[in-house]
Amino acid sequence: MRGLKKYLSGLFQGVRSLLQGMSVTGYHFFHPREIVTQQYPENRATLEIFERSKGELTMPHNELNEHKCTACGICQMVCPNGTITVLSKTEQNEDGKSKKVLDRYIYRLDQCTFCALCVKNCPSDAITFAPTFENAVYTRALLTKQLNKEGSKLQKKS
Amino acid sequence: MTDQALLDKVLAFAPGKVAVEEYVNTYPALRVEADALHDLARFLKENEETDFDYLMCLSGVDWGANLGVVYHLRSTRHGHVLVLKTQTPERITPTIDTISDLWVGAEFHEREVYDMFGIRFTNHPDMRRIFMSDKWMGFPLRKDYQASNPLHLETEGAYEDEGIRKLASGKGKDETFIINFGPQHPSTHGVLRLVITLEGENVDQVQPHCGYIHRGIEKMCEHLTYQQIVHLTDRMDYLSAHINNEAVCLCVEKALQVEVPLRAQYIRTIMDELTRVASHLLFWTSFGMDLGATTCFFYSMRERDHILDIFEETCGARLVLSYVCPGGVMYDLHPNFQRRVKDFIREMRRRLPEYHRLLSGNVIFQGRSRNIGVLSHENAVSFGVTGPSGRASGWHCDVRKQDPYHVYSQVDFQEAIRTEGDVFARYMLRMDELETSLNIIEQLIDQIPSGDYAAKMKPVIRVPEGEYYQRVETARGDLGVWLVSQGDKFPYRLKFRSPGFSTLAALPHLCHGFKIADLIAISGSLDFVIPDIDR
Amino acid sequence: MIYDFSKLTSSLDQLLLSVLPPFWVLLVEALLVLIAGLAAFAVLGMILVYMERKVCAFFQVRLGPNRVGKWGTLQLIADMLKLLTKELVTPRGVDVLLYNVAPFIIIMAAFLSFGALPFARGLHAIDFNIGVFYLMAVSSLAVLGILLGGWASNNKYTVIGAMRSGAQVVSYELSVGLTYITMVAFAGTMQLSGIVEAQADGWFLFKGHLPALIAFVVFLIASTAEANRGPFDLAEAESELIAGYHTEYSGLRFAFFYLAEYLNMFIGAAIAATLFLGGWMPLHIGSWEAFNAVMDFIPPIVWFFGKTFLLVWVTMWFKWTFPRLRIDQLLTLEWKYLMPVSFFNLLLMTVIILLGWHF
Repeated sequence: MRGLKKYLSGLFQGVRSLLQGMSVTGYHFFHPREIVTQQYPENRATLEIFERSKGELTMPHNELNEHKCTACGICQMVCPNGTITVLSKTEQNEDGKSKKVLDRYIYRLDQCTFCALCVKNCPSDAITFAPTFENAVYTRALLTKQLNKEGSKLQKKS
Repeated sequence: MTDQALLDKVLAFAPGKVAVEEYVNTYPALRVEADALHDLARFLKENEETDFDYLMCLSGVDWGANLGVVYHLRSTRHGHVLVLKTQTPERITPTIDTISDLWVGAEFHEREVYDMFGIRFTNHPDMRRIFMSDKWMGFPLRKDYQASNPLHLETEGAYEDEGIRKLASGKGKDETFIINFGPQHPSTHGVLRLVITLEGENVDQVQPHCGYIHRGIEKMCEHLTYQQIVHLTDRMDYLSAHINNEAVCLCVEKALQVEVPLRAQYIRTIMDELTRVASHLLFWTSFGMDLGATTCFFYSMRERDHILDIFEETCGARLVLSYVCPGGVMYDLHPNFQRRVKDFIREMRRRLPEYHRLLSGNVIFQGRSRNIGVLSHENAVSFGVTGPSGRASGWHCDVRKQDPYHVYSQVDFQEAIRTEGDVFARYMLRMDELETSLNIIEQLIDQIPSGDYAAKMKPVIRVPEGEYYQRVETARGDLGVWLVSQGDKFPYRLKFRSPGFSTLAALPHLCHGFKIADLIAISGSLDFVIPDIDR
Repeated sequence: MIYDFSKLTSSLDQLLLSVLPPFWVLLVEALLVLIAGLAAFAVLGMILVYMERKVCAFFQVRLGPNRVGKWGTLQLIADMLKLLTKELVTPRGVDVLLYNVAPFIIIMAAFLSFGALPFARGLHAIDFNIGVFYLMAVSSLAVLGILLGGWASNNKYTVIGAMRSGAQVVSYELSVGLTYITMVAFAGTMQLSGIVEAQADGWFLFKGHLPALIAFVVFLIASTAEANRGPFDLAEAESELIAGYHTEYSGLRFAFFYLAEYLNMFIGAAIAATLFLGGWMPLHIGSWEAFNAVMDFIPPIVWFFGKTFLLVWVTMWFKWTFPRLRIDQLLTLEWKYLMPVSFFNLLLMTVIILLGWHF
């Protein structure tokens, strides 16, 4: 008799637990407002992207096409993956002194692990991470980028 | 027993064969002659006063002239730690006695040492390479490793493998039903390969084959500065990326004796617990999937996304955070941080009962998880199964309680413990920990002091000569970092004692005699992260 | 009054007879039925797959397919084109004949049961006087295809999947059969159209009260298991056996397995609707003449599909809520719970019929 009682109570409790589970999924079925799917390309305008997001490395230029990079090469040194190559050249300034200036700042997005050591160690705050994330391209070569713009100069310290 | 008393006792046991190590070290250390090692290890394990039942870490190291093995032993009863260091006489045919008869978990660790350093352990039951294939040339972690191993595209016949030959030789070769789970299998959560012999639906033997995503992080670390190492640790147990980062940073800070600002400690602790919540949520997700309840996946992913948003807002990344740096954290908290965390806690508290109603109470789920894959307390310690899986067997192994770091000593929380040791206990323990973590965050979130978020560090960190060991509690258990420095800007040797690797060693033991479906449930409940195993 | 499709079919028959000799008439009619059946089959399959995706998405706080066409309605066309253009891979070492035959056996079994379903009055391919018996016979053919497919694929996963499925279907057939017998005993006929007509004044679920209710629940569970649907999808169990018995199938052959699974689900629900919820019969309540008349305005075909899809939705609800059973739990459920309950229920039903305690 006790066996039968156990059998029946097991049966009913089992059914109850199943119904409880179904109530959870059932609730969500009938509350489509709680759907969390984001329809990505359509919601570009309203998409919330955090300003600190590490999408890709950029070198901000001001309106005079000037950047802050002094070509010191610290970022290249601290980078664990050889993502950054700083190519410098010597230039003579007005006083006739020769000075090392940035020629090309090469950034390989395909090698970057976004550890942000370059940005953190940059003594002149010349580089920063931008929250862009649509970085897909068709060939890998396009992921090698030159960060300083053509004809840009070093920003004078104010 | 004090450290000195312990050392005296050991010195008296084997006079002439043991010497106290004079290196700067975290724990008391002894140098042992290779031939006296096994006897001493047995003494240390079986003696009532020493009672070293937990082998925390077993690491190989290349000292140049000879090869060494270092054992970090811990007593779960007395809480003391002892380091044994031994060396092989030469490096051509180095051999050392195995200790896998004393600590079962040592079997896997010794195979790893063999694989990486070529030290053969005599009397080892299964002395094969563990990560690399049988045909691999050379031993990668030796300092003079130069071998090139070109990739061959011809397929290696499955039966060529020494391990599988061994499995097949058990019975008549044609009668053994050997089946490969993985390396590409939906339930191994990554590229783990389990070779299984079946008897009908019942699992007879399980043989893990790992190394499919071994990246040699330990080798890479030997050529990176300490700041650079941090971002590599993200890639081990990527679900507790933040806690891994911390392990290295804490180790370096301990060596340099840097005082981390209180604000940074608070931030790190909160981030720790958020990581743990995110990881346990992912466990719930994948465990439900493993058992066929696909809907779990979306419900907890929904909550986990809130945490990832919090991470992204402050750290700029969602998974591999790289937020910690030696001395503190990389940047200050985002102004929205506290509000978002509080919102999340409220949301999570609302959702947790839903999880229990959907899965925990379900009669099918209970039937599939209760009394399945029972891991006894004794075996958990011997295998070194730490973290939630170890605590589900009744082992108080929470590093946050044992060796508190950051502000854990000031937080009021209970270490979640269950004693059944089955799949259900492991599952429920993680659910308990979710609540514990929420409580910890709640206690800290309003208390974050103002001040610096990082201590001033030199741009090039040189860790003073010595050996350092640091443990942290990741979402998967006891992560140990053993750092050997020779005063350089690169570490001489950096060993990660990953929780997943020890846990994997227990899987064959747990699965024997259960069904295929149980194998999935057991491996799911141990919550592996494969990069953590392979490193 | 409810429209009788047999008027349409017999007038068509008369028309054909007036222009063709009887043998040709038979041939043409057979062809017409075949085309209609196949078309219904394909359309239903597509609707069901789309429904499954959307329903499962809504259970899981997602939107489901929403890229191809409005609300993803054309997704199925795209999928079908994809499956049709995929290469038919025949792995090395398979038993070519059995490997190729297996998908056809499965789809054939589904099609055979499909033919006997009464969609509306007079609208069925064939109306046996032993319809229920026939359904039982043909629905057990599907397991043959699963076993053959799994075995012939020369893959260890498929063999395990096939063996599981064999054990499962054979066991659950018992419960399905017992619930059939219970309802046949209640209806007093094995003819499906007769069973539906018998429910004109009230569905069996209500008329037979307790035993009918028990039989309904048992049938729902057992037919879900027989169709290898979650939580009884052990034969496929993607987290254990990759895709179970159809791991090695691709392209159109896979599509056959896929289609058959959904149609078996539909057939299970349709039989449940016929046996318990009155099939195409509108909801009639005793002497509420006005209410009954209003209900009669809704065409019977709508009633039939409405009831069937409601039950299909319920089985989807099961699938997307519960974890999968283990093989021994599955067999325990059948042999320790469902079968004893069914036997007891049959007895109860007999007693109730004898004592006339039903409505």
